[in-house]
Amino acid sequence: MMAIQYWRNKDRYYRLIGVSCTRCGRDFFPPVYRCRKCGSEELKDKEMPKEGKIVTFTRLYETLPGFETQAPLNLAIVELKNGVKVLGQVVDTPEELLKIGAHVRAVFRRIRVDGESGQILYGYKFVVEHVDARRETG
Amino acid sequence: MRVFVASVGLTKIGDHWNKSLVDLAVEAGRKALSSKIEPDYLIIGNMFSSLAASQEHLGALVADSLGLKGKPAFKVEAACASGATAFHTAYNLVKSGASESVLVIGVEKMRDLEPEYVSQALAMAESAEYTQFVGASFAALNGLLARLYMHETGTTRDELSSIPVIDHKNAVSAWHAQFRKEITPEVVSRSSIVADPLRLFDCAPVGDGAAAALVVSERLVSEASKFVEVLSSSVCTNNFSIYERDDMLSFSSTREAFEKAISTASVPKGKISFAEIHDAFSVTGAISLEAMGFSKKGFACKDAAEGKYSLNGELPINTFGGLKARGHPVGATGIYQIAEAYLQLTEQAGENQVKGARYGVTQNMGGIDTTTVVHVLGSAE
Repeated sequence: MMAIQYWRNKDRYYRLIGVSCTRCGRDFFPPVYRCRKCGSEELKDKEMPKEGKIVTFTRLYETLPGFETQAPLNLAIVELKNGVKVLGQVVDTPEELLKIGAHVRAVFRRIRVDGESGQILYGYKFVVEHVDARRETG
Repeated sequence: MRVFVASVGLTKIGDHWNKSLVDLAVEAGRKALSSKIEPDYLIIGNMFSSLAASQEHLGALVADSLGLKGKPAFKVEAACASGATAFHTAYNLVKSGASESVLVIGVEKMRDLEPEYVSQALAMAESAEYTQFVGASFAALNGLLARLYMHETGTTRDELSSIPVIDHKNAVSAWHAQFRKEITPEVVSRSSIVADPLRLFDCAPVGDGAAAALVVSERLVSEASKFVEVLSSSVCTNNFSIYERDDMLSFSSTREAFEKAISTASVPKGKISFAEIHDAFSVTGAISLEAMGFSKKGFACKDAAEGKYSLNGELPINTFGGLKARGHPVGATGIYQIAEAYLQLTEQAGENQVKGARYGVTQNMGGIDTTTVVHVLGSAE
């Protein structure tokens, strides 16, 4: 990713700014150009809720360039409280808490250091807060 | 207008250290041009020659190399569905009457890249800003999908291995396949972890290869010694990333492309003789079979384990090894599937022959069901 691509998205990466449909109220992250529910093109920026639950997760051993030092990488698709699903890393979490249904919170973290420019890229990751005893699966 | 495949050409898939991207494209292209029919159009299917060979502008480059200077030539790209979308373009050119003879070549050179850069190249099928940015590779997305699929359907580890097992068995007698060795579910479950729960043997390998097909009109097909008819060609797209979909396990573009393709072809599902499916990962093969309605939701792997999809089963799949064992040189895969369907329907499949093959289906995906292309081909009447 080029530095300017990152810079353009910094609010989205730092604060999970997605969009919300002004007609039907559905939220989206990543942002969309046209509401997937009602078709409206009237969307405005909106900060996403930071709490959610893990829908699915993986541990990635063969990482992309720039992430080698972080291998293996825990990744999850999280469903936020507004129903929006977000893909991100799960960090600072003991392995036994990495489960489908685990409650997570979005946090601000360093994503990686760009090899060529040395630029440090920041963004959202997730931390598991707790696991419901009844929902322990996965 | 009716559309036919008059000839095909394949290279073996594997490590072609001494051959370039263009060498492979020319080798496959020449084999498909062995008939008397001259192409008046060239279309290349390719995903990432820019990264793997610092080369774009493949249409003119390959046209000039094949002695087709002057002919229209260009590349079509739709990630791993590049091959089938190139073929779809050729089909529509002939169907519309704009061309009578189109040479389509799918080609990919993957092995020149270091492994992490192969991952980077494949990840370009997914969002740069929201998937690659967080460190998720294409395999990672498939790992996320596999865990959800197993969780929701109760599919076990060994059941998930049943499609790779079929692929490897079928590839033993396929000269062009990358891996011609049978495996057991234990081999899959003991292989190294790529993206948990997916292991190395759940994932299609990295390889170089090219495949070509000559797509012709009804007027020209009489000059071909053996030919098949392309009965339909259907492309559908889905919400871009799996996490942007309400139901991540539904594969709506496979379902819609398949239903449209068999309806246009007027081939009832029960009359399909075999299917070449896009199992870049074991889990995508399973969900694809369910999306096309061959298995009930959650039962594709169980059906595969019970023999339904074996070469002598009710619906043989991946008759030369599929993506897992024949190989998956990404932009070429869709044309390998077409070429394999041609071999089946012209009874040139040797030990891999599906007896009495009349109709074949090919399913080629870019991303995880993000772009899906389905073709229905039929033997000459």
